[in-house]
Amino acid sequence: MVLRMSKYLLLLLCLTASAAAEPVSFSREVLPLLSDNCLSCHGQDAGHRKADLRLDTQEGAREVLKSGDFIERITTDDPKEIMPPPKSHKPKLKAEQIAMLKRWIAEGTAWGKHWSLEKPVKAKTEGHPVDFFVKTRLAREGLTLSPKAAEHTLLRRLSFDLTGLPSSSHSSYDSQVSHLLASPHFGERMAMFWLDAARYSDTDGFQSDATRTNWPWRDYVVESFNVNKPFDQFTLEQFAGDLLPNATPEQKIATCFHRNHMTNGEGGRDKEESRIDYVIDRVNTMGTVWLGLTLGCTQCHTHKFDPISHHDYYALNAFFNSIDEDGAAGTNAKPYMPYQSPHAKRAVEESQKLVEQRKPVEAKAKANAEKPFAAWLEEQKKRIKPDHSAWQVVLGAVESQEGTKLAQTKDGSVTASGPNPKQDDYRLISMIKLPRLTGLKLEVLPQNGALSRGKSGEFILTDIKVQVRRKGSSQIRDILVKSAVADTKVEAKAREYGDVKGTLDDDPRNGWTTKGFPKDQPHTAHYGLAEPLVLESDEELIFELRHRSTNGDANIAKFRLSATDQPGPAVRELGPTPLEKLAKGQIDREKLLAQFLEDYEPYQVAKASLDRANAQLKEVQAAAGKLNVMVLAERKEPRDTHVLVRGVWDKKGDVVQRDVPAAIAPWPQGLAKDRIGLAKWITSKENPLTARVFVNQVWQMLFGAGLVRTPDDFGLQGQRPTHPELLDWLAVDFMESGWDVKHLIKTIVTSETYQHSSDRTDPSDPSNLLLSRGPRFRLPAWMIRDAALASSGLLNSALGGPPVRPHQPEGVWEEIFMGRFTYEPSQGAAQHRRTLYAFWRRSIAPTFLFDSAQRRVCEVAMTRTNTPLQALTLLNDETMMEASQALAKRMLAAKSDERLQLLYRAVLTRQATAKELAVLQRELDRALTHYRAHPEDARKLQATPELAAHTLVASLVLNLDEAITHE
Amino acid sequence: MSESSLNTTRRYFLGQCTGVSVGAMALNSMAQQEMIGLPSLPHFAPKAKRVIFLTQSGGPSQLELFDHKPGLMPWAGKELPESVRQGQRLTTMTANQKQLILPGITKFSRCGQSGATISEWLPHLQGVADDLCFIKSMTTDQINHAPAMTQFLTGHQLPGRPSMGAWISYGLGSLNRNLPDYLVLISKMQRPSDQPLYDHYWGSGFLPSRYQGVKLRNSKDPVLYLTDPEGLPRHLRRGMLDGLAELNQMRFEQTQDPEITTRIRQYEMAYRMQASVPELTDLGDEPDHVFEMYGPDSRRAGSYAANCILARRLAERGVRFIQLFHPDWDHHSRLPSWCTARCRDTDQPSAALIKDLKQRGLLDDTLVIWGGEFGRGVAGQGKWDSPEAGRDHHPRCFTMWMAGGGVKPGTTYGATDDFSYNVAENPVHVRDLHATVMHQLGIDHERFTFRSQGLDFKLTGVEPTKVVKDLLT
Repeated sequence: MVLRMSKYLLLLLCLTASAAAEPVSFSREVLPLLSDNCLSCHGQDAGHRKADLRLDTQEGAREVLKSGDFIERITTDDPKEIMPPPKSHKPKLKAEQIAMLKRWIAEGTAWGKHWSLEKPVKAKTEGHPVDFFVKTRLAREGLTLSPKAAEHTLLRRLSFDLTGLPSSSHSSYDSQVSHLLASPHFGERMAMFWLDAARYSDTDGFQSDATRTNWPWRDYVVESFNVNKPFDQFTLEQFAGDLLPNATPEQKIATCFHRNHMTNGEGGRDKEESRIDYVIDRVNTMGTVWLGLTLGCTQCHTHKFDPISHHDYYALNAFFNSIDEDGAAGTNAKPYMPYQSPHAKRAVEESQKLVEQRKPVEAKAKANAEKPFAAWLEEQKKRIKPDHSAWQVVLGAVESQEGTKLAQTKDGSVTASGPNPKQDDYRLISMIKLPRLTGLKLEVLPQNGALSRGKSGEFILTDIKVQVRRKGSSQIRDILVKSAVADTKVEAKAREYGDVKGTLDDDPRNGWTTKGFPKDQPHTAHYGLAEPLVLESDEELIFELRHRSTNGDANIAKFRLSATDQPGPAVRELGPTPLEKLAKGQIDREKLLAQFLEDYEPYQVAKASLDRANAQLKEVQAAAGKLNVMVLAERKEPRDTHVLVRGVWDKKGDVVQRDVPAAIAPWPQGLAKDRIGLAKWITSKENPLTARVFVNQVWQMLFGAGLVRTPDDFGLQGQRPTHPELLDWLAVDFMESGWDVKHLIKTIVTSETYQHSSDRTDPSDPSNLLLSRGPRFRLPAWMIRDAALASSGLLNSALGGPPVRPHQPEGVWEEIFMGRFTYEPSQGAAQHRRTLYAFWRRSIAPTFLFDSAQRRVCEVAMTRTNTPLQALTLLNDETMMEASQALAKRMLAAKSDERLQLLYRAVLTRQATAKELAVLQRELDRALTHYRAHPEDARKLQATPELAAHTLVASLVLNLDEAITHE
Repeated sequence: MSESSLNTTRRYFLGQCTGVSVGAMALNSMAQQEMIGLPSLPHFAPKAKRVIFLTQSGGPSQLELFDHKPGLMPWAGKELPESVRQGQRLTTMTANQKQLILPGITKFSRCGQSGATISEWLPHLQGVADDLCFIKSMTTDQINHAPAMTQFLTGHQLPGRPSMGAWISYGLGSLNRNLPDYLVLISKMQRPSDQPLYDHYWGSGFLPSRYQGVKLRNSKDPVLYLTDPEGLPRHLRRGMLDGLAELNQMRFEQTQDPEITTRIRQYEMAYRMQASVPELTDLGDEPDHVFEMYGPDSRRAGSYAANCILARRLAERGVRFIQLFHPDWDHHSRLPSWCTARCRDTDQPSAALIKDLKQRGLLDDTLVIWGGEFGRGVAGQGKWDSPEAGRDHHPRCFTMWMAGGGVKPGTTYGATDDFSYNVAENPVHVRDLHATVMHQLGIDHERFTFRSQGLDFKLTGVEPTKVVKDLLT
C-alpha cells in the first residue's frame, strides 16, 4: 500500500513539477505555494495582514526576498519564528518546496500572474488539436492513447453526451455527430446542465416555498441551445435582455436567469435584507458560472487569495442593485413579465385527451353499478326494520388524564364529576361490535343547563383522536379521520375556536365550541374515517377527547359516542342516514346510490382515475393562460450601492459605483456602465476567464471531469488545468468561432481522445488525469431515468411546457411541510416526460435524483457517489419498475429464444455474450418457477407469471453497472 | 502525511466535486476508512462515542421552561428598558409593537440535589435534573428560523455547509456495517408546521454525499425505496442480486473499473439494510414497561416518544450520530395551550431516554443534547397580559441542556441578565457548542478541516471559538 501510494504521489508531482532543467515557473509553482501557505496573512486583504508584509505583489515581497529573511523564516527551527506559524495549523514547508523557492530566488525571482488571469493563446498544433495536446502529454510519460472504443459503446457514449438519451441508431459515427447535434434533445441535455448552474426551481425555497411560474425561461434555454445561439449572445440576453433595443418577449424572459435565486417569504423577515441577499446571489452566481471565481468570499472581506477586493465586489453588486424589486416572495416578487407559453397548448390537448379517455370508463362503471345497486336496494328494503338505527352506542371503559371522574350509564352517556382540572383529556375504550367502522357520532349533552363544567358553561373541544390497540400489544395506531360536521356551523379562522374541523388537526389553538348556540340543548358532530376500519376480534378502539384550550376551564360535562358502518352521506352529513330514511319508507334514491357507490370498488377506481385526470387538466389549463415570469427591469431611481461592512446587510460603508475588477479585464471602451456593458465585458476577448470556464464545463460534461477539476474555482486555490495548452486552444478557438457551442462540442467529440476505450488497461493513472483512456463514469440520475424510459419505449419526447410530476414515494412532501403540500404524480403520458420537466420543489428535490445539484445556490461541479441508497432507488423506484414491465411486455411479444437478446439490445445496445445469457436465463427460470407456482405473487405485480418473471429480469438489466454508466 | 494533504488526497480518491473514479489502489484503504473514518481521528481519547441530538425546532421559550426570573414580576406590562435592549433587532412581526414585558407564566421548582430550575410544564425532566447539564447562556446570530437553524446545525446561516452529524460521520466513520452512520428522525405531527425541516439541515454540504443524514421515515418505507414491491419475495430478490453481481463482475473483468466493485458492495449493503432497518424500526420486541417509561405517546409510531425509543435502539446498534427533530416550538401566541402541547409531547420521553440510557450503561459514552435554534424574547407578543400572548424570536440568549458523554451532570452553566435578554456571564455561542461536542468525540475542531473551493472549511468557521471546558468532567 505504501509503495503504491507513493507511486501515485509521484505521478501527482510529475503533473505539477516541471523537469529540473527548466527555470522555476512563478505561476505554476511559486504562486500556488505562496497562496496555500502565506497569503491568508500576507495577501491583499489589509484587514488580516500581519507584520505589514505583502507577498502577493512583487513590490511587497522584494525586501524580504532580497534580505534573505524569507528563506530564514521558512527554514528556522525556532517555533516562535517559523513560517507558517504552528497556530495556523499549516504544516512546515517540505524540503523540496524550500529548494524550489531557493532556486526561484537564485534565478532572479521572476514574477507573473496567476495562470487563469493571463490571456489564453492558441499554441501551434499538428493534426487534431485535442489529440495533439493529449498525445504530447502522454508521450512525456511514455504512454499512448487507449485503442478506439467499440462502435456500439461509442455511439452510446455520444448519444448520452449530446442528447442525454441512449443511442437508437447504427449509422456511422460521423453522421451521428451531426444528427445528434441537430436533435431537439440536444437543447434539453444542455439545459439540464444550465438549470443546475442557474439554480432553477419551480418554487421559491425557504419557509413558504411558494410555486412560481418561471418555466418559460427553461424553454428559452432549450431553444437557445437548439438554435445554437452564440454563447456571448446567450449571456447578453440573460444579463440584459430587458435593456436591448426592441427586445423580444423571449429576450426579456432570458433575464429570469438572474431571478432564479431563492426568495424568502418568512414572516419575520426584513424585505430589504432579502433583497440584498438576492443581489449578492446574482453576483456570486455570475462569478461561478462565467468567471470560475469564488466571489462569495469577498462579500465579507477582500479576497485572501485572488485579486478581488471587498470594494470590487460591491461595485459588481451595483449592476444588480437597482432592479425594480423589493425583496418580497411568492406572488409579489416583482418585476414580472406576463407571458403566454406556446408550449402549453400541447399539454392541454394531452390532458384533454386523457379526460376524454377516462370519462366513458367512469360513466360505464356507474352504469354497471345500477344493477348491483338495485339488488342491494332490494336487499336493504328486506333487511331494514322500521326501527333501524344506523348508529350503535359505544359502551366501554372511560378514563381521564388529569383526574376528572368519568362514569358511563347504560344509555351510553358519560358524565364527568369530581376534580375539574383546567384542561383534561377523556378516553373511551371499547370493543366495537360492527363488521366495520366508517364514522363516529359525538353528542355533547347538557348537564344542569350547561355543556361544560367551566364557569361559562361552554365547552371547547380542541382535538379528538381515534386509535386502535390490539390487546396485549404494546403499540397503538392512529386512525385517520377525514371529515367532521356539526350542527353548529360557524366560520372560524384557522386559529380560533368554533368550527368542529379544528378538532382534527392536533392544534390546541382551534377546536369545536358551540358558544353562541343554546347551551341547554345537546349538540352533535359526525366524524368520517378516511377509510373504513375493520377491527380484529382482539382490537379495541380508543376515542380521545382533548380539552387543551388556551384559557382552559371548558371540559365537556356529559357526552355520548356512537358508531356506524354506513359510508358516505351517513357520516358526512347530519340528520337521518339514507337507510334510516328508507326504514321510514322514504326512498332518497340519490343519497342511497351515493352510499352504495362509496362501497363499490370498480366505480371508485374509475372515478378516482377520472378525478385525477380532471385535476391535471385544470392545472395545465391554468398554465396555458397568461403567466407571470420573474424578470429583470430597472427601477426609475437607481439605488445607492454601499460596501457592506463584514457583509452584513444593514452595516453600510462607502458608496460605490458600478465597476468590474480591473485585475480580470478592462472595461470595454465606449460602453455604458449597465448590465449590457457587464455582459459584454464578461464575453470580451480581453476577459481571460469566461471562455476557459465554459470550455471546461463542456469538457466536464463529456469526460466526467474538467481539464480544471475545480470547475467553480479558477482562482489561486483551485486546481491547475491538467492540459493548460489544450484548455487555452479550445478557449481561443471557441471565441474565434463566434462562441459557437455546437462547433466546440463537435471539435471535442471528433477527436481520438474522446473516442478511445474507457477500459483500464494501464493502472498508472487511476484518476485519468492524463486522459490515457476514455471517460467511464456513472450517468447522472436524471439520465438514468430518461434512459430507462427511452429503452422501454415509454418515453414521451414532447418538448417544453408546464412541469410534470414523475413518480416518487408517497408522503415525501407531506412530511417536510407537515401536510401543507401534497404530491400528485402526473397522469397518463405526462408521467413519462423527460426529467428536465420534473417539477422542482426547492426544499425537496425529486427523490429519485441522487447526487443532483440542489438548486439552492449555483452549482457547476459534479458530485458522483456510490451508495446503497442509490441501489435501493434503482431497484424499487416506480418509474424503474414501470420501465421494467414495459420492457418485459416487449420481450413477451418476441419469439421466446430472442427475448433476452432483445432486452440487452434495448438497454445496452449490444448483443449479450453466451456467458451473460446463461446468467440471465438462470434468473429468468428461477423467477418463472416461482411465479408459476405462486401466481398470487404475480397478481400483486399486476402481471401474469410470465410477465412478472420477465419484469424482474428486465429490472436486473436496468440495474447493471453498464446500463447506468457512461462507458 | 500532513492533515490537510491527507484530506486533499482522500478527497481526490473519493472524487469529490470532479467525479474522479476511485483509484483501484485506494480501494482497500477506502473500504477500511468507511468503517473507521479518517486515520488521523480521533485527535485524542474521546469521552463520547455517539451523539443523540434532540433538536427542538422553532425556538423553545427559555423563560417558560428553564430560565427562571422571579424578579420580573414588578416589570410586568412595563416597557423593556433601552439599556437592556441595546438596539437588538426584532423580526418584522413585532418591530412595530411596544416591547411590554411578559414575565414567565409558569411556576418553577428547584430540582434534585443540584437545584436546577425547571418549569412545572416539564415535570418528568424535573425528575432527572441531576443528570442534566444546563447551559443558560447560549447565543446565536440569527433571528429567523431557517438561517438560525442552518447556523445551529452547520455553523453558517446559508445552506451549503455540512451538518454537524455529517462532519462527524465523515471524520469518525461507522460502528455498524448494516446501518448508515447518521440517522435523522422527525416527529410525525398532524398540524401543518410553519417551519419546514429542510434536508440541508442534515445535508453533507461539500462533503461526499454518503455522509449526509439518512432520514428514517415513519411509513411503510422507513428509508426511501427500501421495501421491495409486493409480489417480489426475498429469495427472488436475492437471486436477482446474485445475477446482477455476476454480470457486474464480468464487466469489471473487462473494464477494471473499481467503481464496479464498490457498486457490487453497495447493492449488498442495500440488501442488508432491507433487513436491518425494519428490524430496527419495529418496536414490537420492546417490553411494555419501556412504553410505560416513555409515556403513552410512545405507543404511536412516528411520535417524538417513539422516536426516543428508536434513538436508544440506534445507540445500542452503534450509530454514530442520531438526530431527532420535533417541530412547532414557534410560540408567537397562546403559550398556555401551544407551548404546553409541545412540552407534553417531549417531556416524558426526553426524561425517559436519559433514564433508559443510564440503566443500560449507555449514557456514559452517549452525548445527549437538547435545544432549538434560538430562544424567545421577554416582551409579550400580542396583548401582553392576555393568555393569548406569545413571544417573538430571540437570538441573544437561550437555554440548552446536555447529558452523558462526559459532561458534568447536575450543573448549570452561564447566566442571563434579569430580563433573560442578554447573556450576563459565560456566553456560549453555537460554534462553541459545536467545538465542545467535537471535543467530547475526540476531535480538535481547529484541526478538522475539509478543502472545498480552495478553502479549508471547518464546522466552527473562522471566528474565535472555544471548547467550554467548564462543562466537562
